[in-house]
Amino acid sequence: MRNKFLLIILAVLLSLPIIVFGQNPGCACFVKGVVKDKHTNQPVIGATVLLVGQNTGVFTDENGRYELRNLCPGSYTLECRIVGYNPFRQKLDLTAGHEENFDLEEQEVHLQDVEITAHRTESPSSQPLTTLSGIDLEKTRGQNLGESLKGVAGVTTLQTGSSIAKPVIHGLHSNRILIMNNGVRQEGQQWGSEHAPEIDPFIATRLSVVKGAAGVRYGSDAIGGVILVEPEELPFDKMLSGELNAVGFSNGRQGVVSGTLQGGIKNFKGFAWRAQGTFKRGGNIRTPNYFLDNTGISEKNFSLSAGYRHKGFGIDVFYSRFATQIGIFSGSHIGSVTDLLNVIQKGEPLVKSGFSYAINRPNQNVAHELIKAETHYHFQNGNRLQWTFARQLNDRNEYDLHRPRNDSIAALNHPELTFKLSTLTNDLVWDHKPIAGKLAGQVGISTLYQYNLMDGRPLIPNFNQFNVGLFWMERYVTKRWEFEAGIRYDYRTLKTYRIVNRQKVADDFQFANFSGTVGATRSFSEKFSVRLNAGSAWRAPNVSELFSDGVHHGAAAFERGDAALQAEKAFNTIASLKYVDTKWSAEIGGYFNYIADFIYLKPQAEPILTVRGAFPYFKYTQTDATFKGIDVSASWEFLRNTTIASKLSYLRVYDQRNDSYLVMIPPNRVDNQLKYELPDKGNLHGTFLSLGNLLVARQKRVPANSDFLPPPKAYSLWNLQAGTSVHFAEKQEIEIGINIQNLFNTAYRDYLNRFRYYADEMGRNASLRLKWKFGA
Amino acid sequence: MKMYRKLSSLLFLGLAMSFTQCKDSGEDLQPDDENELITSVTLNFKEDATGTVTSFSYKDADGDGGNAPTKFDTVALKANTKYTMTIEFLDESKTPADNITEEIREESDEHLLVYTPAPASLLTYTYGDKDENNFNVGLTGTVQTGPAGTGNLKVQLRHQPEGKNGSPTIGSDDANLDFVLKVQ
Repeated sequence: MRNKFLLIILAVLLSLPIIVFGQNPGCACFVKGVVKDKHTNQPVIGATVLLVGQNTGVFTDENGRYELRNLCPGSYTLECRIVGYNPFRQKLDLTAGHEENFDLEEQEVHLQDVEITAHRTESPSSQPLTTLSGIDLEKTRGQNLGESLKGVAGVTTLQTGSSIAKPVIHGLHSNRILIMNNGVRQEGQQWGSEHAPEIDPFIATRLSVVKGAAGVRYGSDAIGGVILVEPEELPFDKMLSGELNAVGFSNGRQGVVSGTLQGGIKNFKGFAWRAQGTFKRGGNIRTPNYFLDNTGISEKNFSLSAGYRHKGFGIDVFYSRFATQIGIFSGSHIGSVTDLLNVIQKGEPLVKSGFSYAINRPNQNVAHELIKAETHYHFQNGNRLQWTFARQLNDRNEYDLHRPRNDSIAALNHPELTFKLSTLTNDLVWDHKPIAGKLAGQVGISTLYQYNLMDGRPLIPNFNQFNVGLFWMERYVTKRWEFEAGIRYDYRTLKTYRIVNRQKVADDFQFANFSGTVGATRSFSEKFSVRLNAGSAWRAPNVSELFSDGVHHGAAAFERGDAALQAEKAFNTIASLKYVDTKWSAEIGGYFNYIADFIYLKPQAEPILTVRGAFPYFKYTQTDATFKGIDVSASWEFLRNTTIASKLSYLRVYDQRNDSYLVMIPPNRVDNQLKYELPDKGNLHGTFLSLGNLLVARQKRVPANSDFLPPPKAYSLWNLQAGTSVHFAEKQEIEIGINIQNLFNTAYRDYLNRFRYYADEMGRNASLRLKWKFGA
Repeated sequence: MKMYRKLSSLLFLGLAMSFTQCKDSGEDLQPDDENELITSVTLNFKEDATGTVTSFSYKDADGDGGNAPTKFDTVALKANTKYTMTIEFLDESKTPADNITEEIREESDEHLLVYTPAPASLLTYTYGDKDENNFNVGLTGTVQTGPAGTGNLKVQLRHQPEGKNGSPTIGSDDANLDFVLKVQ
């Protein structure tokens, strides 16, 4: 837990015995070591290494070495602050075992050698970053990416039934947040609310959320925030190791198996590889009172990676394939508004079902491939060049409930909708060496080329898109202060092709924008720090906002795009306070996000007549919106080994131009967890038992007459979790976890689930999680 | 420095790759292909006594969206008269127009037409055809009008791919039109 709050993921690779002599005056101990970049394994020059609460601080030299001298015996906290890296903290004990080594040379005895390997962070350090890793990530294993991130304050999900979940950060989702999958912008058909990110969370050992606009480093679309999916560094020159995860869920009788094997290669120095795969299969989901027909899932993913390091040079190659087939609840199909009103009136689905693993129509069949090469070179003088090239292919096929009436066409069983999106991205980043050990920064260029091919029922046009962005960021770090500033310019061209009255019509669009960020972090003491960031980001309207023209069947709405839409511009300020003590910690973040020309669906007065009857008419329109909110997370160890942790997310959204609220904004929520940790015993460690409650309020702030149903009632869900790790042999460990979600089988509906009209949410779901880890 | 050269050649290769892969999505543009599209619904009333046929249509040639429907006739019938009624569905967005009526007839065990007059006194509909499971279809039937009056005639084509049992509640609408009805 502490690690999570400190945002530290580091490895201490080497610790020599701590030896201090007992003479008076005994202030002759010292600590020395080297600071290395975790990814490139190269020394980091100009890092600040200091002892918390002492007035001593040094910079690392050109070999990344540091040395702190003339320390009195005692307990210290070593802190390493590097521009562009996550901070590192480690406790040191310079008191133990001095007598035995009394006779040794001074140089050898008063020493602790600490090698620091630091994780680079490219997100603005003054913006709140929450990382899920270790046990917090393990607890989410088996769930999809959106569900896995639900534990982060300020993050919720936008759902389509139970199997499709998209992450929502501070009320923004889809094209307004960016997912960086292993350093590459994830490019699927993000505009669709039922298009979940095509990422297997098992590839990641860290899932991080940057809250707020982060357009400078990551480019357009990062209006609401960025999700970083990061795998572990490759195990260069290490022994074979691996893990096997197996998770079983009672609801949907779902099973997930995922395995990883990795290692170096003997006689081939500087080389490492990894192979990973996941298999998931689930059947119909059960709500407290009924099964949901056709809600099974089948997923097969794998990834391969290899890397090579030699001195300052390094290259990593990564390939991943994600393939999923998701059944869409058949009771959600409606032909007309009358159909929808009938389901709403009945209060439960008209289609009844039992349990089945079969995935019938309607369903989604999606494959996403990513191939990526990343190479870097550390110059002797501390400069660094990094180039990332990636190609993605997103192949999405959607099958409607109804087969074509014409038998010969039906026999082909073609999807009614096919999207093939190919994306090529290039990022070239130059990190200049720290100036005076205090100022570091990077300049970069990013390009994106994309084309979309569409087949079937007309929905969005074919398009070619090209984007180029140039950015420059600098950070200035002193002992107590950290400042940063950055600027970016993006230029985008979009050419669309569609058929209007059997004629091919091409349209051209150009968008260009600046984004900027300024921020400061002040550490008042080792326990207390304050961050302030102001940033901007922009987003060009996507093709569905430009060209939608038809009935959105899930929502029973006629949606029409507007080709004259302008880009959205977000101005985001975010302030956070963080206090970390031994018994309690708290982080409070407040944000204000002003989005100029916010694109949304505005209800129109007149309905649109179609052959399926009249549908309410919505048109993509722009307004100015404000997003104000607070995220609080706090934990308090009020009894020995017993901790209460609370998270609160509060958000208010307002449409400034129309003096109204906006639709589909996540309601406020509070999550409380009571956790009892057992002391380590024998080969058992990390044993815990926890009871939690999630309270979600009713969304009362909705515009009048914009929906078929008022937002669902508030709900309260209980969960129970337990887990432990067993070290049963040398370098072998088994981790066991039990988790019961929706303990009391509560029937509820969530405002951000598009199927809230049709059915209740998932009922009780118990899961058992096993992880076998070996070799590391 | 050797590394540097290696890196720059890699870079060059990558940039070259990123542009040679460029493809024009306009060339691959497929024509619209909506299998379920219905652009025209026509009700044909044949007066039993005289054999005179009058037709009333709904037409939206380009389907949902785009241009508004071009035709939505008022169904005008004589009071207290018996008619034989047939219904016709076309997809005129294709050339030649797709005869959906034929497709419905072939799959009559998955479709049901529902005619609902409001007020109910305006006319009475009696099914004139059955599917292979002996359930009503409604492509053809008889209409007996009542006394003069005005109201609506709701015409629904229910698609019931599973479990058609004669009841209109299951399935979903493929067509749902409220014709204005005048009985005079």
